[in-house]
Amino acid sequence: MKKLLILLVAGLFFVSFTNPKISTSKGYDIGDKATDFELKNVDGKMVSLADYTEAKGFIVIFTCNHCPYSIAYEDRIIALQDEFGPQNYPVIAINPNDPEVNPKDSFELMKVRATEKQFNFPYLFDEGQKIFPQYGATRTPHVYVLNKENGENIVRYIGAIDNNHADANDVSEYYVKDAVNALIKGEKVKTDVTKAIGCSIKVKK
Amino acid sequence: MFLPQRYIYSTLLFTFMSTAVFSQNSVLSEPQKDIIDIAHEQLFAVINKDQNTVYVVNFWATWCQPCVEELPDFMEVNKHFAKDENFKMYLVTLDFARKKKELVIPFIQKNDIRAEVLLLDDNKRMNTWISLIDKSWSGALPATLIYKNGKSLFFKEGNMDKNELITQISKHL
Repeated sequence: MKKLLILLVAGLFFVSFTNPKISTSKGYDIGDKATDFELKNVDGKMVSLADYTEAKGFIVIFTCNHCPYSIAYEDRIIALQDEFGPQNYPVIAINPNDPEVNPKDSFELMKVRATEKQFNFPYLFDEGQKIFPQYGATRTPHVYVLNKENGENIVRYIGAIDNNHADANDVSEYYVKDAVNALIKGEKVKTDVTKAIGCSIKVKK
Repeated sequence: MFLPQRYIYSTLLFTFMSTAVFSQNSVLSEPQKDIIDIAHEQLFAVINKDQNTVYVVNFWATWCQPCVEELPDFMEVNKHFAKDENFKMYLVTLDFARKKKELVIPFIQKNDIRAEVLLLDDNKRMNTWISLIDKSWSGALPATLIYKNGKSLFFKEGNMDKNELITQISKHL
């Protein structure tokens, strides 16, 4: 019993005296201007942010076929498009992985997955892996919420979709929803950077 | 600070298992037949247990291909330092807790994993503990921490090979 108490106290001591500072490594910070791109969608057409003339912003999600965390969020990504697409904050999904490293993330299998799950958003392939490093994505899923301000796409949220990948019914923080709702109301995003475990983006060594 | 009751029970169980079942040696006599689910407070308690010990903590998952690829190197390194009583390796899996019996335990049996495995089941507070482990960690797997006496001595997001691990660990033993 004594040992248990010591363990607990040690753990609590550590937690209460450690100040978490969130930092993003390379890539975008909040307030940065996001680049546009021209990437191939699963329907074979090229997609750019500029194609969306009515958009007030975007929910750009780096995600893929193989990663269990990405799979766990597929239905929630569809729901985000259902909710925010009509409000002119459409979801744009991008697979950043090199399929030579993980064959499950090939363009052909992206098409299969998009059909199976009836994705209601474009699912683009970052061919040549030129876009994800500019954003600074490191894992899947990794979300960038962009807001159109003076004709530029400004990064207003970076991070996870919500705070429980394992159970959609036990979420207490809806990071992306809250961010987009704040932008729709013209308010500041309160929690603008979050971290979550994810699959590393697959690049050849 | 609030601690869910189930974590208190598993801390009790953990304290029991780590003293009764596992030896001080970082190399287990056989692969584990069960794995304990812990919250991040318990993980920090575990790596703060002895101030003279160099703790190597590898964050991995059975579904993470680069993680699985580097595990044989971690096993070799664990053997390499087996005789040093001030060395302890933990493999902390981020597998889904509900897949433990179906995926994780068969995996460690099949691959003869002889370093102690813990399952970090603290999903809703990832945004807190990822930065507590290291503020440079984005959350991508694998990741490796070298820790001693309440301090992080080394952290890397991404793969590590045997030589790099031995070099980094040897600096602190």
